[in-house]
Amino acid sequence: MRVLWSWLMELVEVDTPQDPAAWEERFPMLGLGVEAVERVGDDWVFDLETTTNRPDWLGMLGIAREVAAVCRGRVRPPVVTLEESDPLAARVAWAEVAEPGLCHRYVGRVVVDVRVGPSPRWMVQRLERCGIRSINNVVDVTNYVMLETGQPLHAFDLDRLVGGGVVVRAAREGEVLVTLDGQERRLHPGALVIADRERVVALGGVMGGLDTEIRPETRRVLLESAWFHPVAVRRTARALGMRTEGSTRHERGGDPERARYAAARAAQLVQELAGGRVLRGELDVYPDPQPPRRVSLRPSRLNRVLGVEVPEDEAVDILERLEFRVERGPDRWTVTVPSHRRDVEREEDLIEEVARISGYDRIPETLPVETVGVGAMEPELEAERRVRDALLRAGLWEVLTLSLLHPSEVERVGIPLDHPLGQAIPLRNPLTQEHTHLRTTLLPSLVGVLRTNRVRGNSDVHVFEIGRVFRGSSAGREERKAVGIARMGRALEGSWNLPEEAVQVDFHHLKGTVEAVLGALHVEAWEVRPDSLPWLHPYRSASLWLGGRSVGWLGELHPEVCERYDLRGRAYVAELDLEPLLQAARTTPQYRPLPYTPAVERDVAVVVDESVLAGEVVRVVRQAAGDLLEACEPFDVYTGPPVPPGRKSVAVRMRFRDPTRTLQSEEVEALVARARRALQEALGAGFR
Amino acid sequence: MRDQLERLRQQALRELETASDTEQVEAVRRKYLGRKGQLTSLLRCLPQLPPGERAAAGAALNELKVWLEGQLAVCLDQLRAREREGRLRAEAVDVTLPGRRPSVGREHVLGRMMEEIREIFRSMGFEVVEGPELETEEFNFRRLNIPEHHPARDAQDSFYLDEEHLLRTQCTAVDVRVMPRRQPPLRVVTVGRCYRRDVVDSTHMPVFHQVDGFMVGEGIRFSDLKGVLAEFARQLWGPETRVRFQPSYFPFTEPSAEIAVSFRGRWLEIGGCGMFHPRVLEMAGIDPEKYTAFAFGCGVDRPAMVRYGIDDIRLFWENDVRFLGQF
Repeated sequence: MRVLWSWLMELVEVDTPQDPAAWEERFPMLGLGVEAVERVGDDWVFDLETTTNRPDWLGMLGIAREVAAVCRGRVRPPVVTLEESDPLAARVAWAEVAEPGLCHRYVGRVVVDVRVGPSPRWMVQRLERCGIRSINNVVDVTNYVMLETGQPLHAFDLDRLVGGGVVVRAAREGEVLVTLDGQERRLHPGALVIADRERVVALGGVMGGLDTEIRPETRRVLLESAWFHPVAVRRTARALGMRTEGSTRHERGGDPERARYAAARAAQLVQELAGGRVLRGELDVYPDPQPPRRVSLRPSRLNRVLGVEVPEDEAVDILERLEFRVERGPDRWTVTVPSHRRDVEREEDLIEEVARISGYDRIPETLPVETVGVGAMEPELEAERRVRDALLRAGLWEVLTLSLLHPSEVERVGIPLDHPLGQAIPLRNPLTQEHTHLRTTLLPSLVGVLRTNRVRGNSDVHVFEIGRVFRGSSAGREERKAVGIARMGRALEGSWNLPEEAVQVDFHHLKGTVEAVLGALHVEAWEVRPDSLPWLHPYRSASLWLGGRSVGWLGELHPEVCERYDLRGRAYVAELDLEPLLQAARTTPQYRPLPYTPAVERDVAVVVDESVLAGEVVRVVRQAAGDLLEACEPFDVYTGPPVPPGRKSVAVRMRFRDPTRTLQSEEVEALVARARRALQEALGAGFR
Repeated sequence: MRDQLERLRQQALRELETASDTEQVEAVRRKYLGRKGQLTSLLRCLPQLPPGERAAAGAALNELKVWLEGQLAVCLDQLRAREREGRLRAEAVDVTLPGRRPSVGREHVLGRMMEEIREIFRSMGFEVVEGPELETEEFNFRRLNIPEHHPARDAQDSFYLDEEHLLRTQCTAVDVRVMPRRQPPLRVVTVGRCYRRDVVDSTHMPVFHQVDGFMVGEGIRFSDLKGVLAEFARQLWGPETRVRFQPSYFPFTEPSAEIAVSFRGRWLEIGGCGMFHPRVLEMAGIDPEKYTAFAFGCGVDRPAMVRYGIDDIRLFWENDVRFLGQF
């Protein structure tokens, strides 16, 4: 709302002259945010941000009331004295409300013998400074009175209304209206319209029709000043994608009592500016006037809600300055709400008024007296934080990516659209082409992060994100948290003189990161199994299994995908479901006594077919060697002579220990021999 | 004899002076003090001397032996030190070559700020919770006293999935999810993602973060809201921070206020707050006569921009490591 300082000052009567510069600070203290202040000539324009609960602030008079209230002055609305002429307006025009649900009050005024022409300079200037273009003297008056009172008005060329009147009704199937802006609008059934005997002539409260607009040759004018139902106006405007000065005001719900004054004020100004005669009386359809609202206020509640002692007399004074009427009772006051403050409905609204005018600054800063104890954190959040910490300690960088994407990104990263991860939930009303669906996986955006960095010359990127992913199916929609990891380039900076292959991140670096997370959560009994996921290198692809189900995947991004994203190298990616990990996590691991007996280590080089996985060798050893085997880990894998073609040597180190006694070498040899036999039988292993 | 010994001393001294490694020193030792060494031989001849000369010659020989052993030890020490020095010199490193740096983890600047915020509220006794990003009209709007067609919805243009489901536009939805499940008194805070249909530019993204919290109790007042938020602001923005509360409007709070903090000489608007509207409490099954409550919601992204001097919000989402590495 653009407020012209000189105009505002005309509408208030205050004892001391007001300095506009000071009001840049004072308006916000009332709840009127100052978006901008402009000096225009010797005047000031304040662009005020008004809240949607205050329709009265969309008129100069509403702002003037606030100024008067805080300055202990008075509002001075323009006095309307009309010279009315016969015949009665109701004789030459008519107004009906066919749908009372759409329109609470409809006031019409008729002015005849007008001369439509340009407005005087002062009016053009005021309108322009408030952001409205001058059209002609009649239309300008409707806009001027709207700015002054907050009441939107419309002027019809009465001679172009078929039947000489208007009816407020709902639009019917197939009705069309060409609005003032020249657009042909197809109306949805139920839209709030003004019609004459034959056709729709205006969108109620939103915009008039082109056919009945005021033209140079217009002689008889019907001025409309109505209270349309806010929801009806909002629906009508939204359905057509429109938003006008009028609709904004109607949507907030104005003051039905003001409609009559605004109509008279407009008639008076039309007569002043365009000549003509104002016909006697008005058309006023107002079947159901509401009595003023009465709200009770317990003065004790003021302090209880605000935490500041406002003396009762002061509270009453504040309310009365805002034009509320207060009848004091012993514990309870009855407050009558002025019609322009329809936003005030209950006690809290009155409390806010007292707080607002006495000043939020006066309320002290206190700390709540009740003790609730120490703040906690939801256990899942606590566990999530540990995952994040583990990834950070594993050297990864946290990233945040958008949760919205286009399915083509999913496809581009190698996920077939018929894969469950390809089934993204669409937005019904996306804003742009790129953001049309909810992500099902973090993969596309993390690969996007790799690409962004690669394009900009950052070749070493190791990132993770913990975020929500969304999946839709016929069973419903699901929202869950996932951990995504993406790595490319060197795992070590400053790697001069080191062989490149030792430094470049590879599958096992990635697996190590996943292991770090599992370790931080004390998750046990997990397993990484080969898999072949379409977006991964077919022979460098795996799933993470936990408790009999797959809870994530990891691997090298498919070379074709890398090429598509121009990554110029290999990239390693993983995604884990957070929830199953958190469920398997142990928050309070229990102490296991440190062994005081020595361990015995034995290395065995196992020669097996190339297709045999190291994990199988370890599993067979574990099963065969029994409880005294404390650990078994592969430490070397070799192919080439003397190992025959098609075979490989997997060297494993076994560590044996009995926590209660020192092992004899013969028993260890026996266990090793048992492991060898088992390897021979199960895997056809030979030994080097 | 005396002259012979003096010659030996001079000769040994010359030989030691020219010895260039421990091996040569050892050869000198052998030459004079070894089993067949010259000095050893002389010592062995002592008994053959006349008894009158024996004592004096023995003393002189012994003196020379002690002297020579001392010289040998000094010489050996010097040479060993020199050899060690040479060995270590060969191992010299260029300390100016870059260090080998395994990647050290880094929080995203927004992630870090959200963690800080959670910690501050936790230290003030708040419970940290979470709620779904995929919300319903019911919790995102209706329970917050924002019926359909309320003009306040204009400021929160939402992404819908269908008639009833949408992406939450503020985290306050979490408040009204939590309240019905618990008994007052309550202090709860949540930090998370929200979505609005905003066109991307340097200060807008369709996805952003919010911190939202509330407190319910028998004596919770607006002054407590001011106190708690002022404390929060001082923790996050520094002890000198001032906090400004100005009247505003939200359908779910009454009275309502906008919060701004003083930062580097300017007022920075960080969010909105107020006393929960009695209707919101009623809908959450809390008796507004018995209990009062405050609630607040603050942005994270834009305050973070101001705090760290970041001029484009898109930088948060690009994840250029040169950006991420600065925090």
